[in-house]
Amino acid sequence: MRLSRDKVLNALVAVLAGAVTLGGLVPYAAIIASTVMRGAKAIASVGVIRFLTSLPPSPGSGELGGAGPSLLGTVLLTVLSTLAGVPLAFCLALLITEFPENPVSRALRALVKGLLELPTIVAGMVVYTLVVVPMGTPSILAGSLALAIVMLPYVTTHFETYLSSVPRLYREAGYAIGLSKAGVALRVAAPIVRKGLLVGVLVGVSRALGETAPLLFTLGSARYYYPSSVLGPGDSASLLIYNFAMMPYPNLREVAWGAALTILASYLIISLIVQLCVRGVEA
Amino acid sequence: MPLMGVPKRDRAFFLALLAPSALLVAFYILLCKLFTQYSLPAFRRYGLSFLVGTVWDPGRVVYGILPALAGTFVTSIIATLVALPVSLSMTVFLNEYCRAGVSRVVSSLMTVMGGLPSIVYGLWGATVLPNMLRRYVMIPLHKYLGFLPPFACSPVSGWTVFTAGVLLAVMITPYVFALINEAYVGIPLRYREALLAIGARPYLMAREFLRMIWPAVIGALLLGLGRAAGETIAVSLVVGNVNSMPYCIFLPGQTISSLIANNFPEASSYPLMLNALYAAGATLLAIGMCLNILGLTLMSRWRRCMG
Repeated sequence: MRLSRDKVLNALVAVLAGAVTLGGLVPYAAIIASTVMRGAKAIASVGVIRFLTSLPPSPGSGELGGAGPSLLGTVLLTVLSTLAGVPLAFCLALLITEFPENPVSRALRALVKGLLELPTIVAGMVVYTLVVVPMGTPSILAGSLALAIVMLPYVTTHFETYLSSVPRLYREAGYAIGLSKAGVALRVAAPIVRKGLLVGVLVGVSRALGETAPLLFTLGSARYYYPSSVLGPGDSASLLIYNFAMMPYPNLREVAWGAALTILASYLIISLIVQLCVRGVEA
Repeated sequence: MPLMGVPKRDRAFFLALLAPSALLVAFYILLCKLFTQYSLPAFRRYGLSFLVGTVWDPGRVVYGILPALAGTFVTSIIATLVALPVSLSMTVFLNEYCRAGVSRVVSSLMTVMGGLPSIVYGLWGATVLPNMLRRYVMIPLHKYLGFLPPFACSPVSGWTVFTAGVLLAVMITPYVFALINEAYVGIPLRYREALLAIGARPYLMAREFLRMIWPAVIGALLLGLGRAAGETIAVSLVVGNVNSMPYCIFLPGQTISSLIANNFPEASSYPLMLNALYAAGATLLAIGMCLNILGLTLMSRWRRCMG
């Protein structure tokens, strides 16, 4: 008798947990499906090239259009914030992994972890007050700075994980041939985990690609012309979606879905590369 | 003093790394300075009534953030109430009832979804989710459980506090799942072997293991709450942005981060509004800090006790 009660309970838990698991996966499938379907429709109706290069339509005109300036803005923002964030993240990660006992690097490690939990809108507030107000205008540069702050802890944490995973044996071999700590870190440890470092950079890029909150007050919304300088206002695909999502004009919402598909596709491609690299590192 | 314990020949390397890293310290100092400098005038003028006042009226220079504060709490609590059982079920099902291949695919899928830009969640949440939730969840709940105060109001539109909570649940589930799953997978093999030796079925295994990892589960819950409280973009697209108390979860509301997102651009044209928003941000930071420190302490205690 006891055994059969056990059996029933076990089956019950299996069915319940399985059902909730499947149910829990439904929203993600729905998000991907609706973004792909609506986005593909929006992009196909104007053509890929035109969507990537032309300006958004004017509200309520019934015309269709693209998201050229916003997509270019996203590319610029991603490049600039990566250029600012990744070297700093590399220095921090080296400091943390090479001098793990030092109180300064311990404190810095705690600060990096703290940044991970900082609401991203706060980064936008700080950059607004420190950069946008003195400059007198929101700018691509200010947006990139805010993004760099947001991506820094993610990139640092990945760098740190991979750098500290290098087996001691290799480090000792480096010391044995007379290398200094710097030599071991830069010529032995870093090259061994170069794929892991690439993962770190890509994680940073994928963060910068879709973040919106840090750009809300720092970037401006110059989406009807191409930016002439990084010191002036720009736009990003994410900000365009944020502003167009609730518009009463269907033609603008179409552009938002197209931009969302562009972000989703770029993100999924980067994630795929990351997964392949991670598997390579672990193997 | 910072050079303590650094051998002489590595000092140049240490200092070369320290110089750029000082930027991070500078950022923290600026952050503290800005938030104290800007939020003090608001806290000084309104005192406690800033936190418990329900009126936000820039025209009369009256600022109270209780509705936003309550909105933040209610949406995050709905989010964790939904995310926690789903994450627990996923952990149990994937580890006890699935083939290793399937469970690996699903967990990497969840990792990918966890990093998906919040604007993609936001667009879906703003366009597809509200009408679906309204028709299939809110109206039935109101109809059958309408005698309970949180469900008492009739869901006129789909853009409500409840919708924001559900969308947040979708967004934090990958994170909460990853934390719980990590703890579950990290249980030493000898416990599994011991349970197998007495002929335990998977459900018994799951029950014992969940009992073992409960500090990690609570930690994951608190970290998930912290995540949900700080999220801005997706929430302000679905929450309705109406400054009213969320007595009933089927009404539009406001959270601290959506309050900041919606009001910050015009803040400099009203007296004290920038200060009030910084004070709201400081409150948000304080809440987040408490949740995260508590959560991380529980997580690290769990990791230590697993060795």
